[in-house]
Amino acid sequence: MMDATERDLLQQTVRDAFVSADTTTSLDSVLVDLGWLEMLGTARRDAVDIVFRSLGAVNGTSSVLDDVVVSALGIEPRADLAVLLPSFATWHAPGTTDGTDVSAMGVATARVATAADLLIACGTGAELSAVTVPRSAVEQRVIEGVDPDGGFRVVRVDRAAIGSSLGRCEWDAAITWGRIAAAHQIEGACRSMLELARTHALERVQFGRVIAGFQAVRHRLAEALVAVEALDATLTAAMDEVGPLTAALAKATAGRTGQIVGAHAQQVLAGIGFTTDHPFHRFLKRSLVLEGLFGSADEIATEIGHQLLATRCVPTLIEL
Amino acid sequence: MEMAEFRTELHRWLDAHADELEPAFSPPGTLDEQIAQMQRVKAILFEADWIRYGWPERVGGLGGSPMLRTELGAALAARDLADPGLFSLIEVLAPTLIDFAPAELAAEVVPRLLSGAEIWCQGFSEPGTGSDLASLTCRAEPEGDATWVINGQKVWTSLAQYSDRCVLLTRTGPVDARHRGITAFFVDMDTPGVSVAPLEMINGQHEFAEVFFDNVAVPADRMLGDLHGGWAVAMSILPYERSSCFWQRIAYLYRRLEKLVEVAPDDDRAAEVIGNAFVQLHALRARSRVTQHRLADGQALGAETSIDKVLVATAEHATYDAARRLLPGVVEMDDSATGAAWRSEYLYSRAATIYGGTAEVQRNIIARRLLDLGSDE
Ligand SMILES: Cc1cc2nc3c(=O)[nH]c(=O)nc-3n(C[C@H](O)[C@H](O)[C@H](O)COP(=O)(O)OP(=O)(O)OC[C@H]3O[C@@H](n4cnc5c(N)ncnc54)[C@H](O)[C@@H]3O)c2cc1C
Repeated sequence: MMDATERDLLQQTVRDAFVSADTTTSLDSVLVDLGWLEMLGTARRDAVDIVFRSLGAVNGTSSVLDDVVVSALGIEPRADLAVLLPSFATWHAPGTTDGTDVSAMGVATARVATAADLLIACGTGAELSAVTVPRSAVEQRVIEGVDPDGGFRVVRVDRAAIGSSLGRCEWDAAITWGRIAAAHQIEGACRSMLELARTHALERVQFGRVIAGFQAVRHRLAEALVAVEALDATLTAAMDEVGPLTAALAKATAGRTGQIVGAHAQQVLAGIGFTTDHPFHRFLKRSLVLEGLFGSADEIATEIGHQLLATRCVPTLIEL
Repeated sequence: MEMAEFRTELHRWLDAHADELEPAFSPPGTLDEQIAQMQRVKAILFEADWIRYGWPERVGGLGGSPMLRTELGAALAARDLADPGLFSLIEVLAPTLIDFAPAELAAEVVPRLLSGAEIWCQGFSEPGTGSDLASLTCRAEPEGDATWVINGQKVWTSLAQYSDRCVLLTRTGPVDARHRGITAFFVDMDTPGVSVAPLEMINGQHEFAEVFFDNVAVPADRMLGDLHGGWAVAMSILPYERSSCFWQRIAYLYRRLEKLVEVAPDDDRAAEVIGNAFVQLHALRARSRVTQHRLADGQALGAETSIDKVLVATAEHATYDAARRLLPGVVEMDDSATGAAWRSEYLYSRAATIYGGTAEVQRNIIARRLLDLGSDE
């Protein structure tokens, strides 16, 4: 655990680093210099919370998600180790292996372009194993998509020889932490979208008054704040009791919150927010991508609904 | 007692006394049956001390964190032993007496509320005064030094016809003094001149009523708080209403969703509907827990509880919308006891965005006070 001063300091440093960094690599290396990799071992909750919230708030692009997923798998993260993430809107382990060769399909952060190795979780159910392949065995293509600045790549590995076998792995833990990280990033992005819309509402004059005076505008922004605060609370709950279900609930809430805040902020920003001169569009686009990462709101909700129907009970999860 | 220990012991005790506590009717039951059940349960819990935890000793409580009593209310709601809407009136009204009544009066009456000997009601709304509470006109005039005389009308007063007392807001200053000219009284409902006319609600129950005051004489020592200080009394209710009451409501909604999960088909559509309702309930519960802890830590709760209110109302709608979608015809056409229960609750759930400050009023508060958007005038 970090105390409040340490948290504040980390947050400020991270934000400054995001603002001054101009390429992904430099941003990642600033974090590594700050002791990010060690923090993942000693204070993972605080580190993920602060770094990903800040990342979302400034719309920074980074590959540190790889380190979160790798360390959740129980493997030592390294700046030159990339990890294969599940394809968009899915969350199963991306690889299959026969013990000698590995094949896989998924997405990866920009780190895969420069890393020495790519880590791939293979298999299904309890039979999961983690293997690496050298970068030379990886086919990759930059995803332009809705958010070309996101740095994501689509990755294919076709019957490549295993570089090293790292043994059994807990994919659930990787998804849990991946979802927690992405949900924090969405919260950061949502707070920024809301603030952009709020500032605009207080400055834009129509019909002789600032539009913040119109109840329709006020209520949209109020709805957005309600959604963001609810997300914040689910993240607190997920961090108090880290587990697959609390993380899934937080990620589903994050996906929904991104939709709600994005829609209300966009409506309030109207024409100016429709241009690429205004920063809003970047946050909206990033949040669309982040919603799909490790499962969209609806997909996760459906998955959870199936769990409830299978057990015929509704767990409370949180107590006073 | 610590919360974890309290919870374990309480549930063990509730398990052991399940037969004795169980309602004698099958749900939904009539309102008379529900109220008799609630008062019976309160009496048993008072006898066994459970309902005294979390209340100050000077009003017959056993002290400890207010969260203890919240936990009790939630346990009762989750076990369907008392309707949380009715039960949580304790939370709305007892703190008001504790904070604003003369000490002897509070010591005398609060134990009677807790033990099920009495029911109280909240007389705030009037025919011309709903969201704009500061415009109320039911008048109280002084008569000599020792008496106030009340004339006017209240409306939608929950449980008025069952009540022994009423926490009443009256106009003591000019109407255009708005919230500065309001005074609260603790009025015995059997005082001559008080008459109650129950209203039929949308679900067929008569849970609230019109209350008429015709030259009702109230002793001056029944004033709650200061003369013209009624607004502070009214506002003091919010922290409790928005924390403990909500936690009880949430426990109830979890149980409702569970009832739905017990009977819903196991297919993709049901999974999506139920999953989405659960995601909302979980977010609400997470938020409400943060709020409870802030209150227990001695922080003043204010406008941010409007967020809790919006979340409760939205989640309540979502829960019953899910039921209506997944149990086709049950709300509309099913005349069995199960159908009647879902129907009554579904219809009642729509009140969630109306009482305790409407959804729109909450958004106004959020916009003004939390987002700092300035005035909307
Ligand atoms: C089941 C139930 C139980 C109740 N129990 C009690 C009780 O025990 N004691 C008691 O005193 N009262 C009780 N009430 C009354 C409740 O507090 C009022 O209904 C509530 O405050 C709303 O007032 P109103 O009905 O007059 O609606 P109005 O205030 O007339 O509002 C009508 C509509 O206009 C909207 N509106 C009003 N003002 C604004 C604004 N400034 N901006 C935007 N929209 C606005 C509202 O949101 C609403 O949609 C109960 C109500 C219900 C439904």
